[in-house]
Order: sequence, then structure tokens, then C-alpha cells
Amino acid sequence: MIEVEQLTKVYRVPIREPGIVGSVTSLWRREYKEVRAVDAIDFSVAAGERVGFLGPNGAGKTTTLKMLTGLLHPSAGSCRVAGWKPQDRQRDFLRTITLVMGQKQQLIWDLPAIETFALNKALFDIPSKQYAETLSELTKLLSLQEFLHQPVRNLSLGQRMRCELAAALLHRPKVLFLDEPTIGMDVEVQAIVRQFIIEYNQRYEATIMLTSHDMADVARMVRRVILIDRGVVRYDGSLEGLSREFGSGRTLVVRGNGPVLDRLGFSLMEDDKRRLTISPDRVNEVLGDILRELPQVELTVVDPPLDDVLRRAFGEKRE
Amino acid sequence: MIRILSALIRASLMVSFQYRSDLFFEAATGILRCFSAIAPLWLAFQHTTAIAGWTPPQAMLVMSLFLLFHALQGGLFEPNLGEVVQLIRQGNLDLWLIKPADAQLLVSLRRIDPSYLWDFGVSILMAGVCIAQIGPISALDAALAALLAVNGVLAMYGLWMLAICTSFYFVRVDNLRYLLTTAADAGRWPASVFSTGIRWALTAGVPILLVTSTPAEALRGQWTWTTVAGSLGIGLAFVGLARVAWMRSLASYTSASS
Repeated sequence: MIEVEQLTKVYRVPIREPGIVGSVTSLWRREYKEVRAVDAIDFSVAAGERVGFLGPNGAGKTTTLKMLTGLLHPSAGSCRVAGWKPQDRQRDFLRTITLVMGQKQQLIWDLPAIETFALNKALFDIPSKQYAETLSELTKLLSLQEFLHQPVRNLSLGQRMRCELAAALLHRPKVLFLDEPTIGMDVEVQAIVRQFIIEYNQRYEATIMLTSHDMADVARMVRRVILIDRGVVRYDGSLEGLSREFGSGRTLVVRGNGPVLDRLGFSLMEDDKRRLTISPDRVNEVLGDILRELPQVELTVVDPPLDDVLRRAFGEKRE
Repeated sequence: MIRILSALIRASLMVSFQYRSDLFFEAATGILRCFSAIAPLWLAFQHTTAIAGWTPPQAMLVMSLFLLFHALQGGLFEPNLGEVVQLIRQGNLDLWLIKPADAQLLVSLRRIDPSYLWDFGVSILMAGVCIAQIGPISALDAALAALLAVNGVLAMYGLWMLAICTSFYFVRVDNLRYLLTTAADAGRWPASVFSTGIRWALTAGVPILLVTSTPAEALRGQWTWTTVAGSLGIGLAFVGLARVAWMRSLASYTSASS
């Protein structure tokens, strides 16, 4: 569904000396430098897949999404989405995709969200029957009923974001590009939005590419992640693989007591819980040692938190 | 296209009607704006019977066409094209560019400022009165005047679009817009009051005379096929150049960081 080959975006950014002298000088002599925001990346995404596109600020995530939606023209390389070249901005292509940006809104501020939906119905040429069906479905799934007819300016951030999602999905796109879709939301609304995105993916077999700094989003919504840093893809694979490759190890949590735990170096957490973080290849050996001496013990093996994994991933790669 | 246009106009009107009290102030402002524009010409005609060969109804016709354009500029060009600069700076243009419709059409017509409907109404009324006073007008003159007026508006739209396209590269071009609106103010006077050089500048540079004097001259029967062809050529050139500039600007669009 999405094919990316050697995709590159180079920005020409003006630079100037700091202070008033620099400002004045830049009036007649401006210097530029080239910034490779995306540097020859390759990946592909199958139809119906949900992929997390992760990276620190300025890594090139949003630039990539904007190239995949046709907003930016690549400096080199190529991309195809659902068979189209995005930068050609064919109308059928634009009817196939949607882009939700958590920090931007398409809803008309002074009018109820239903009026933006009506405008999108005209813009996307959605047949009336399909519009009524989709609207009713989205209203139910996102619990929009009670505020659909209130001016957008009177809605809370969570209500607005739910309406944004509905506005972006009225035309039933097959490819969703979600840029920080849960940013600024409270935990309850985040859960609704995540559940909704998963349901949409399953119901319409839609392909989803998601960027987020919220690791709960990633853990809940995607199975595969692509890590990008300084415009280069650093990792492309499963979440589990990511933990294996960049995690500091796996954590064993034991409820109980015994000399073997002290010998292996477990530290006390709370109550009678003890914890030890070890490399994945030592897990079976340590489990064997514990179970030989404490066969009845309550024992859990925990993957490292995703935040830690990513911090390590980006930290290591930058060193 | 009509479906999209009517949806955009509907949304625009609804936004305006959200603030009912504003509607009355807008009406008063619009009518006052028209009368203050007419005042200098009216005062001038208290002391003379013609300005550069233009009788009072003829000169007032030029003024009414100017007011008509002014209404289009304030009601359509400013809220749409003027806001493109802001959309680019804040990155919100992205949301319009991913709609499956001609992006130039969307950014040009997505909003109307209904407060200028008053100016529009007053200028149409004024033009009607002036035409009635000028005397009988042939069907050909009337048809040509209408064609040339539309051509003039399209030429000015093209110029606005060209100016706005520069904001893709320089981001802040507010002063260029002010320059355009100020230059367009010259359109309130008949072409013959200006020297040849200025007349050329206001025909082929900032083509405001194509909106005002040229159609008014056609209504007076003062036209030749050469001037008609020349005017249409200039209009076409501005619209064509604007389209090319828009497509090039989109190709080099860098969006805003999020």
C-alpha cells in the first residue's frame, strides 16, 4: 500500500549571524544551508497494517508523512501510496487518504462540527446515503451525539479531537496518516481514540501510519515500528524485536524471599516484591536457578518500558 | 465545482451570522464606505462640468465600477488570498491542500466577507443610475463592457495571486498586498486623467483600469477591436501567469514545522 524508495527531502534554510548586525546584514546578503530532513529512506507498508513511525523531535517523521500525503515534493527518491504518486495530488488519491495532525484543526471554529462535516461532504463528493451511514457510525463510535451541534469554540480539546477524527474519516479513507493524534488529551479520551483507530483499521482494513511521542499510543495501536532519527531509518520491525535490540534487558519480578534471590542480586521493590534486570539471553538460566530453590514462587517477566527502549535506541545511535 | 462553491459560501455566511450584532455595524460601515468614496468626485463636480472629458454620470460610472471591484477585493480577495500568507506561516494550508479539489480554487474562494455585500449592492445601484443617465447603450457596447469588466477582475485576481505566491518563498508579504490595494485606488479616476506612462502602468502593471475605465469606455462606445483584444490579452496573461506561479509554488512548498 505504501512504497518508499530512497526518499529524500532537503530543505534550504537561511542562516544569519545573531543580533542586530546579523539581522541588518541578512537584508542584502543572506546565506543558506542545506538540511537533509529525510535522507534516502526505504520502507514499505502492506494494506491493513498499523505502523508506528517514531523518532525524536526533528527526526523527519512529519516531513515523511507530508511527502506521503503529497504536501511536500521529494528532493530525491520516490514514494507511492495506494499506487499513486502523492505529489501529483490526483483527486482519487486525495479521496483515498487522510491526514490528521494533532496540533492543527480543520473544524470551522465558529460553527458546530456538523457544518464542517457538511463542507467535507461537498469537497469529497460523498454520496448522501454513504454520508448519513458513515456519520451515524462515527457518531456512535466516537460518542459525538451530545456535542455535534455545539459551536466548535465551546468544545473541550478531547471533544474537538474526536470531531477532527470524524471530519477526517467521513470519506472512508483507506490510508490514514496520523501525526500525534492524541496529543494533549486526557487519559480517558486517549483510550477512546486509540480504540476507535483500531476498530476503524479492522472494519475497513485501512492502512495506518502513526507518529506519536506517547508510548502508550504505540504499544496499544501498532505491532510494527519504524524508527527514524536525523532523517535515517534506524530500525524497522516488530515492537518485540525493538525491545530485544535496544532494551536494557528483561526484568524479573518475584514475590517472595529466599537466599537464591540475594545471591542473584535481586533488589527489594515494595512489600515482598523483588526485581532484577538481566540480558534476554540469561532469562532461562536465572529462571531455572530460582525455580529449583523456590518452585512455588510468583514470578513475572516484564519487557522494559518502551520509553526506556527508545531512549536507549536514540541515545546509542547518536553516540 | 458549483457544489463545492455553494458549500463554501454557505459555511462563510453561517460564520458571519454567528455574530448578529456585527451585521448591523457591517451594513453601516459598508454604506458609509461607499459615500466617502463618492464624496471627492461629487465635490469636484460642484466646480466643473467634466473631468478630462468625462461628464458626471460617466465619471460616476467609473467610480461605481471601482466600488464594485473594491467590494470584490474586500469581500473575496482579502479574506481568501490575504489569508493564504497566514495559512502558510501557521502550516494550516496543509489542511486545504489535502482536499480533493483544485487547491487554487479552494484558497481563492473558500471564504466570503458578507459585509461587502452592502458595497456590492450600493455600487450596482449607482452603476444602474449612471447608465440610465448616460443614455441609450447598444447591446454590443453593453456586452463588451460586461466582458471587459469580468476580464479586468480576472486580471486583478491574477495579480493578487502572483503576489500571494511570493509568500511561499518570502513568507511575509503583507506590504506587497498593501501596495497592491493602494495602487488599485487609482482606479476610481477615469484613465484620461493620468499621463500615458501611468496609464500604461495601471493597465499592464496593476491592471485596475481594465476593471474600471476600460468597461466604462466600452459603454460610451469608445472602443476598438485592438483595445478589446489587448485588454483580453493582458487579462489572459495575468490569469495564466498566476496559474503557473501557483503550480510552481506548490512544488516548492515547504509547509511549516509542527
